Amino acid sequence: MSDILWTAFLLSLVLLGIHSFFGIEIIRRGIIFTDLAIGQMAAMGAAVSILLLDGEYLDVVSLAFALGGGAIVAVAARRTDSHEAFIGLLYAFGFSGVFILLSKSYHGMEMFQKLTASDILFTPMSDLLKAALVYAVLGGVLLLFYRRARGLAREALFFVTFAITVTIAVRIAGVLVVFALLVAPAMTALRIRRGIPIVNAWIIGTAVNLLSILLSYNLDLPTGYTLVFSHAVLALAVALIVPARNSPARAEPRPAPDHP
Amino acid sequence: MRRICAALIVCCALTVDPVSAGALRVVAAYPYIGSLVEKIGGTNVQVSSLARGDHNPHVIVPLPSFIAKVRGADLLVINGAQLEIGWLPPLLRQANNPAVQPGERGFLDLSRSVTLIEVPAAVSRELGDVHPEGNPHHYLDPENILLLAGAIRDRLSEIDPDAAAYYQENHQKFIELWRARLLEWSEKMAPLRNARVIEYHKSFDYFLRRYGLVLAGTVEPLPGIPPTSKHIERLEALLKGQPARYVLQDVYNPDDASRHLAEKLGMALRFLPHDVGAVREAGDIVSLFDEIVGRMTR
Repeated sequence: MSDILWTAFLLSLVLLGIHSFFGIEIIRRGIIFTDLAIGQMAAMGAAVSILLLDGEYLDVVSLAFALGGGAIVAVAARRTDSHEAFIGLLYAFGFSGVFILLSKSYHGMEMFQKLTASDILFTPMSDLLKAALVYAVLGGVLLLFYRRARGLAREALFFVTFAITVTIAVRIAGVLVVFALLVAPAMTALRIRRGIPIVNAWIIGTAVNLLSILLSYNLDLPTGYTLVFSHAVLALAVALIVPARNSPARAEPRPAPDHP
Repeated sequence: MRRICAALIVCCALTVDPVSAGALRVVAAYPYIGSLVEKIGGTNVQVSSLARGDHNPHVIVPLPSFIAKVRGADLLVINGAQLEIGWLPPLLRQANNPAVQPGERGFLDLSRSVTLIEVPAAVSRELGDVHPEGNPHHYLDPENILLLAGAIRDRLSEIDPDAAAYYQENHQKFIELWRARLLEWSEKMAPLRNARVIEYHKSFDYFLRRYGLVLAGTVEPLPGIPPTSKHIERLEALLKGQPARYVLQDVYNPDDASRHLAEKLGMALRFLPHDVGAVREAGDIVSLFDEIVGRMTR
């Protein structure tokens, strides 16, 4: 059986690699729900493609929606005071939109479930390799240009690469899994006083991924949800026990996302 | 950290399943199939079912254990007619067991042994969860169970010819019991001939057809699509003059729309098991139909 667990574990690592970078960035920027909103927009794009185009151009439509979501968030950052509320509403818009669209579609409810948290044990190797390739390219681009970019170019680079990353990840793993991998390891890593946050996030994320996959296999639980659950429990526990690394003013507790 | 890693590796190694020798390992997509295989295979087979009987058969969340079961199977028996389309294909690919791939001897699609009804002339996504091969809930016609039992006997004998006589004997016993039950059920259902009923999903069409009941409408506007207020209104208008005898509801869909209709128009709401394990009383293939008939005639 180890080969099956191996694929799931590799996939979780591929996702973790790039998501840790974005996770640390969005926590620092204080736009935590951006991912949920953009991920949900990508899911909405997928739903539109399934309903209106019989699933044709799914990646393109999904990416277009994610980019649209990213652009809206970027614009809103300059225009609104209650940014979290705006992003939260964008998420609610995407979530209800997907539900409404898929309620009219062939096997829609199944698709809805997959777009929320799909079973990563069943991801084919080819999808895994494709994601790894795209993420390697994106990672390279970010490494080369992100530090040097300033102002609007930096924002555009951030949101475009983020939208592409999330679009692919949502297709493979679902919105909730992506959110957990993005935020949980990053949040815990930012509380550790030693080392480089992204490396800490990788180490923590890898351990939790491995644990969740084994747990899911041995107790026969849905893999996607087990992953989300373990990441959430650990990050919540650490947040409650370990004091924040940065000034207390920045680490004010935020309300947890109310997920239906 | 090193100790944790070691513990995890041990965990990983422990996930290999022990294989019991001798018995034919049969994996059934749904519990009703498992029950039927047990009746024919007897002590010669070791049966495990994948989906739970009380879940929506169209939307099965695959669990890690499914992979292990399919991987170790000598025979995989499915309902077919695309009921498993949403969850079985990735499982078959991931389990990577060449013996149970479609077209192989270790793969049995039960829908091939029966005549499907409601085969659409044209398939369109706009018509909802329509299965292009026809209504997939074919096993809920109790007469069809005879055909399915025959198909299972034939396939077990083909894979395990040494025990063919044993399977034949079990099959014979099962058929005799089933024929007696069929008479009993027909008798009980006879007063309901031509009674009008509505159902939530088109799950019981084969059953209704067998006993001459008339389907007056479905709570879902289209198969697999949750009820909308407009559709419920239309259904109310349709049933106002002559309400149906029963509103038939499966155990896994929300029942608020059915309850509303039943109360408003004075119809009886009946929850019917659609599979073995859907309700406690439906413990095997025989008691499943005993229970359906019982709940309709109570």
